[in-house]
Amino acid sequence: MRTLRTRLGFDQRELQSRRAFFDIQDEDLARLAELRELALKHMDDINEEFYTHLLSHPETKRFFPDDATIRRVKRLQREYFLGLFEGRCDLEYVENRLRVGAAHEQIGMSPRWYIGAYRKYLSQLLDRFTNELPVGEGRIGYDSVLKLIMFDMSLAIDAYIAANLETLGRHQAAIRELSTPVIKVQDRILLLPLIGAIDSQRAQQVMETVLLRVIEEKAKVMIIDIAGVPVVDTKVADHLMKTTAAMRLVGAQTILTGISAQVARTIIQLGVDISAMPTLARLQDGIELALSMLGQQITKAST
Amino acid sequence: MVETVQSWEVPIAREDDIVLVRRKARALAQERGFDAFAAAALTTAASELARNVWVHAGGGKAIIEELTDGYRTGIRMTFVDEGPGITDVERVLQGGFSTARSLGLGVSGTRRLVEEFDLQTAPGRGTRVVIVKWTRF
Ligand SMILES: Nc1ncnc2c1ncn2[C@@H]1O[C@H](COP(=O)(O)OP(=O)(O)O)[C@@H](O)[C@H]1O
Ligand SMILES: [Mg+2]
Repeated sequence: MRTLRTRLGFDQRELQSRRAFFDIQDEDLARLAELRELALKHMDDINEEFYTHLLSHPETKRFFPDDATIRRVKRLQREYFLGLFEGRCDLEYVENRLRVGAAHEQIGMSPRWYIGAYRKYLSQLLDRFTNELPVGEGRIGYDSVLKLIMFDMSLAIDAYIAANLETLGRHQAAIRELSTPVIKVQDRILLLPLIGAIDSQRAQQVMETVLLRVIEEKAKVMIIDIAGVPVVDTKVADHLMKTTAAMRLVGAQTILTGISAQVARTIIQLGVDISAMPTLARLQDGIELALSMLGQQITKAST
Repeated sequence: MVETVQSWEVPIAREDDIVLVRRKARALAQERGFDAFAAAALTTAASELARNVWVHAGGGKAIIEELTDGYRTGIRMTFVDEGPGITDVERVLQGGFSTARSLGLGVSGTRRLVEEFDLQTAPGRGTRVVIVKWTRF
């Protein structure tokens, strides 16, 4: 499985520059490692308080439907917490932090809530540090932890956005598939009403879907209705002709319908020759033509 | 005297931008009273030239201007890129020639769709195409 890190293109160089921007020095990491003992001492009470906070707000409470979930996330939370005091901030650390963002996207928790949760953590740490450390040390230690938590936050948000984009991409793919609805008009006659712009991805998809369906249905005629296509330029025309040629290879004829007067004239002015396929203005005429074509074929075959 | 009333710039940095250029052209043509044939011609021309910028030059921009000569409204579209330029301009203008294994009818066809057409290009110097279409009166 590819790591989140590589998927986001987060390499050693990115790590260096981001650490520099967040001002995370080796001294910060060393200091945090020294604070590990204090952190361990307070881990449980900090975590308890943290969850009391999350569970007392309906917006976050809904993410913890049962005790088993709460136990599981508490364990993850302890790991996260201790991770802050390990004195490291390398690529493996980054991967771990990116997962936090991706996990939140998966359960649908948006950044505003977990940014609020980070805030809670920081308050709690500030409280423990000021109570238990000499003044100067507490302040410096808090600054180091602040840097690392802000760094974590930036990673979680990166991962959240990336995961969100991926989700969107999947939806688009689904929509694209849905927008190639091949309809069976009658035995051996299929209809594809094309709607919207035909970009190269969509053109590819149309071709594949149509071919598959024609073979599946053993169709003889494929009607492509382009009434819903906003512009028929040379690229779209080329695509339609290629689809027609492919149809012929699998034994089906193509009829093009839904061509308005404007589109017809524009195609002619462009100099595109689409005479290889019968074209008609109205879909009904296309269906009639398809029926008559089949009729002829049947009579031919029976003589 | 021809004056520019308003102008817009649309970057062409990905395939989707072709749709944006085309939609801007269509919306403007319709709002300014171009008839359906003229609007379709302008929209298709915009689509061809924007696609050329994307496919053959890897990106660039479109500048869309609303013009007036005191009587009629015109739409001027300028497509600019810093791509490889066109080596064989004659053949491209003649039509049926493509370096991308497509129909090769975009440039030659577009010329017939508009009233004014200007192509400036040189190998290695990018390409600039300007088209203008006017309302009937
Ligand atoms: N903006 C451009 N930059 C570089 N070359 C171009 C550009 N526009 C067109 N061309 C060249 O002119 C040829 C013909 O263009 P066109 O008539 O639109 O047909 P097609 O795009 O189908 O190839 C292209 O194959 C390409 O070599
Ligand atoms: Mg072209």
